[in-house]
Amino acid sequence: MTTAGQRLAIWSLVWISILILSAPTVVVLGASVTSGNMIAFPPEGFSLKWYQKIAMARDLRQAFGRSLVVATVCTLVALPVGTLAGIALSRYRLRFANALQVYLLLPFTVPLIGSGIGLMLVFGEWRGLGSLWPVGVACAVINLPFLVWSVSSSATLLDPDLEHAAANCGAGRVQTFLHVTLPAVMPGVITGSLLMFILAMNEFLVSLLLTDARTVTLPVQIYNSIRSIITPDLAAVSVVFIVIAGAAIAALDRLVGLEIFLKSK
Amino acid sequence: MSSFRYPLRWRLMDALERAADLLWPERLSRFTGWLMIAPALLLVGLLVLGLAEMADGSLRTLDRATFLPSEELSLANYETALGSATYWRVFGRSILGATLATALTLALAFPYAYALVRVPGAVTRKALLVVLFLPFFIGQVVRAYGWLIILGNGGMVNEALGLVGIAPQRLLFNFPAVVFGLVQYLLPFAVLMLAPALTAIPAETETAARSLGASWVRTIWHVVLPMARPGLIGAGLVTMTLALTDFATPAMLGGGSQDFIANAIYDQFFRTADQGLGSALALMLVAAGSAIVALVLGLFGAGTLAMGARR
Repeated sequence: MTTAGQRLAIWSLVWISILILSAPTVVVLGASVTSGNMIAFPPEGFSLKWYQKIAMARDLRQAFGRSLVVATVCTLVALPVGTLAGIALSRYRLRFANALQVYLLLPFTVPLIGSGIGLMLVFGEWRGLGSLWPVGVACAVINLPFLVWSVSSSATLLDPDLEHAAANCGAGRVQTFLHVTLPAVMPGVITGSLLMFILAMNEFLVSLLLTDARTVTLPVQIYNSIRSIITPDLAAVSVVFIVIAGAAIAALDRLVGLEIFLKSK
Repeated sequence: MSSFRYPLRWRLMDALERAADLLWPERLSRFTGWLMIAPALLLVGLLVLGLAEMADGSLRTLDRATFLPSEELSLANYETALGSATYWRVFGRSILGATLATALTLALAFPYAYALVRVPGAVTRKALLVVLFLPFFIGQVVRAYGWLIILGNGGMVNEALGLVGIAPQRLLFNFPAVVFGLVQYLLPFAVLMLAPALTAIPAETETAARSLGASWVRTIWHVVLPMARPGLIGAGLVTMTLALTDFATPAMLGGGSQDFIANAIYDQFFRTADQGLGSALALMLVAAGSAIVALVLGLFGAGTLAMGARR
């Protein structure tokens, strides 16, 4: 169908995109195993000494631990809330359904700096700043639409007659929910929770606003260090993020398939 | 007479059913949907509460003598913000940067999404998807760090230029660097919004146009692009909003000299400690962002956009 010239035109643009998308990842991976002291080109030989160094660095280890706590809190808060909301939106006939959707999309429509500062004021009023749970809850708020969307798109695929059949066979409401509704929305729940965890792990601006010097998360720690001097140990830390991202993509692909994002609604 | 006992699971389930009947009787089942959506409404309510706090704060001016917000309410902060040449300059830079970044992002995202949808090989498609998702999942800080290594004064590009005898160039901390960083940040969003729109266009329509004698360029221009227009407009508006309100890219690749609106707001809160003015600026940004989103909703309806906006 397409001639060689057309393929060339498309693919050269695609290759520019691939280069732009991947260059930082590749360079960070390369810089993390350099044996030199500064980032240099061409690289000065191979060594794992920067990984050794970050394994020893207490502040980085603690920041990483805090990021894990934030991501876990975020997922634990958002998982039940978003799953129930996703099911409610697609399986129940609610009045004002359109208004509800617009309301639940607020975390996306309000710019991140606005929601971050608003939540900072709210948690400040409640004397919550300085601990980690507000950061997790804030991440749950700002990314909730991802989870609601992925759950409701699997819930719409469930035939309501299946739930009626279960009820007809004598299953109560709880039993129907646990054995029919919940398994049906599982793919959406898994995709959504994975997104929530990884996005909370990476969340930068909201963490920056809600943390102080004692509770910095890993992205904020990296941001603060970048502004002083760029050494390869930060590259080794960044590789941690790359590995986590890779693992999340692999899990997503195995569990639901990446092609799901190409489907037209 | 041996006493028969039901399996534990059954008894547990019966207990749960009885508890459910007690707590939420059958006659309330009309409202079950509302019960299930209530936690989400409350969680998002935190955000609304935050906006209300900001609205309250934005009406109080900072007393320079005591460094306390004033008791009486006034619109002075909004007047200060609208009357300040600095903020208009920051606003103009943000709009220009966001527009340029959106145009470049769409120009790159369209061929990428087209290749993604039309490529025959499943392996190639998966590779393209992984390349797209990896930066999306890595986060903005690490990506910016990569660019600092590549483009910095002692970075890879300048070292390579030095090898062929070209003096180091200042590639970072200027406007083009911020726009470039924004394009890299926005590309996955744009492709993921465009791809479903292109999936919806059957390949046969292109074949039909070609068999009627249209050249390939004309087919793309007169058939594919018009059919993909909803997707293009949606992707464009979402990237525009994200670029306009971004904080991390101007902060890290702009080096303090290329502030966007979000950076100015941050500075009001954490450098100048003028919460009132910062809140006023933030609320105006929220209003601008909401206006763009209202435009999307008006064009496509809430249903089509719902829960898929940033995907």
